[in-house]
Amino acid sequence: MTQGTTQQTRSEPLPETVIDCSELTTRDINQALRDHAAAGTEAVTLLNPAGRHNLAVGLASPMRIAIQGPVGYYCGGLSDGITLDIEGNCGWSVGENLMSGQICVKGSASANAAATARGGTICVLGNAGPRAGISLKGATLIVRGNAGPSSAFMMQQGRLIICGDAGENLGDSIYDGEIFVGGRVASLGADARFEPMTDSDWTMLTSTLAPFDIAAQEYDFKKIVCAKELYHFKAREFSKWKDAY
Amino acid sequence: MCGIAGLIYHSPALYSSLGSTLLALIQPLESRGPDSCGIALYSDQITAGQVKLLLHGTEATPWQQVHPWLEQAVRIVQRRDVPQGLQLTVDLSHSTFDPVRFKQELHQQFPSLHVVSIGQSLEIYKATGSVESLSRKYGLSSFSGSHGIGHTRMATESVVDTHHSHPFTSSYDLSLVHNGQVSNYYKLRFQLERMGAVFETQNDSEALAHYIHYQLLQGKSLEAALHQLLQDVDGTYTFLVATGDKVALVRDKFAAKPAVIYETENQVAIVSEYRALLTLPGFDPAATIREPGAGEVNIWSVTPSTMPTRTLVSQ
Repeated sequence: MTQGTTQQTRSEPLPETVIDCSELTTRDINQALRDHAAAGTEAVTLLNPAGRHNLAVGLASPMRIAIQGPVGYYCGGLSDGITLDIEGNCGWSVGENLMSGQICVKGSASANAAATARGGTICVLGNAGPRAGISLKGATLIVRGNAGPSSAFMMQQGRLIICGDAGENLGDSIYDGEIFVGGRVASLGADARFEPMTDSDWTMLTSTLAPFDIAAQEYDFKKIVCAKELYHFKAREFSKWKDAY
Repeated sequence: MCGIAGLIYHSPALYSSLGSTLLALIQPLESRGPDSCGIALYSDQITAGQVKLLLHGTEATPWQQVHPWLEQAVRIVQRRDVPQGLQLTVDLSHSTFDPVRFKQELHQQFPSLHVVSIGQSLEIYKATGSVESLSRKYGLSSFSGSHGIGHTRMATESVVDTHHSHPFTSSYDLSLVHNGQVSNYYKLRFQLERMGAVFETQNDSEALAHYIHYQLLQGKSLEAALHQLLQDVDGTYTFLVATGDKVALVRDKFAAKPAVIYETENQVAIVSEYRALLTLPGFDPAATIREPGAGEVNIWSVTPSTMPTRTLVSQ
């Protein structure tokens, strides 16, 4: 393919970078976002999201998106390389299976924030609901407030940073990855254990939280990792399995 | 997946919009449950000693025979025809009325007839199909009252028909809408039937209504009954249960099913999803929206100036 044909298929950036959701179907909105990304538009603003599900889902090209208001379920999910700001609360599973990029929720997030996210950073400036970072597979999830019960359930890779308190059963059945909690931990789940903080942990927290104007030093961070006692089933440890969540 | 909604007014000035507002709250939740829908509405409009009875039949119901049978069974004060059914106001002040026996005898005599609700203030309207068609069928948008609960159903465990749709009732003025599954349903049903409960459907949510009624009969408060339920009922559930003067919201200890709570001085609205709140008249987008915690019981009284009781399950 010559450079000429590439330029032809790649049309001029679309002039309109504000999309009003109120008159469009969700499919139309996501198609418009894809069209903008393909045309090289750098930033798009979505107005009147009205708590709608599946906004900015499956976008595979870098683009800045700002959503002015609360969104529903799966916002930004399955995306790769986007920079998404949500000016409001969001429903279940924000940034589910994010591959790379950054999602910042200015309000609170409901259950399953960053579920199975493989890469990138998801930051919730308010509180997160139950099962935050469930099955996290490599992304970084930051919660400035508190996170609900069963957060980091079956986490496999990546980082969950909770500046506030963590609910019951934190890190239950965790495989790997790191959890940091600045506040109180209600209880640890099966096979999760505390580990002493190191200097490199503090350095990492300082640099990871700084872009969101969060000062790591203001929190009493504790580190939780996998105890790796349930990697292999041993009959004499049956009680540990039985008590697993 | 199902949709649930509840509405509690603390100000009588709002009563006239109960029907239209509750319908508006469940309409966006049709996407969570397109099979059937229903609402339980509470209005305090009848005299002491009387109850409202709602009967639901089919096209096959022999109404000419039903009327004389009802005349000899109960003392009818008022009668109103509703689509495929009948609403009666019955005087119980000089009779010994046993609702369970009445239901059984009526159903035995006319198998196509069901008692949808009994109570001083409760009226239940439910049907397969859309919220709009339910509203039109029964003219519910002008219904005035103090509180109510609603449901949109996506059947997972039992058949799709009017009687298997929510709300369910198990006693005077008690109604329930549920999102989730009861995994120890057969065990619960067996135990409750041994205690005298008469199940009318195969829907697992009906067991919750019978369970709560049974606990109340043991002398438990609604709050104590619901805490006991959290211990005894397995499965996933976020449900609303309403009585003549209260609405309670219960969420299982895994917080598996959603709900959001919007609370102002004059009213409380509970819905499965935030977007449904946007239809609420006078909705303040800046207000704090709260979600019930895992294993949490919330109870609101309809009378003004009472704060909700909010308690967690003992771990």
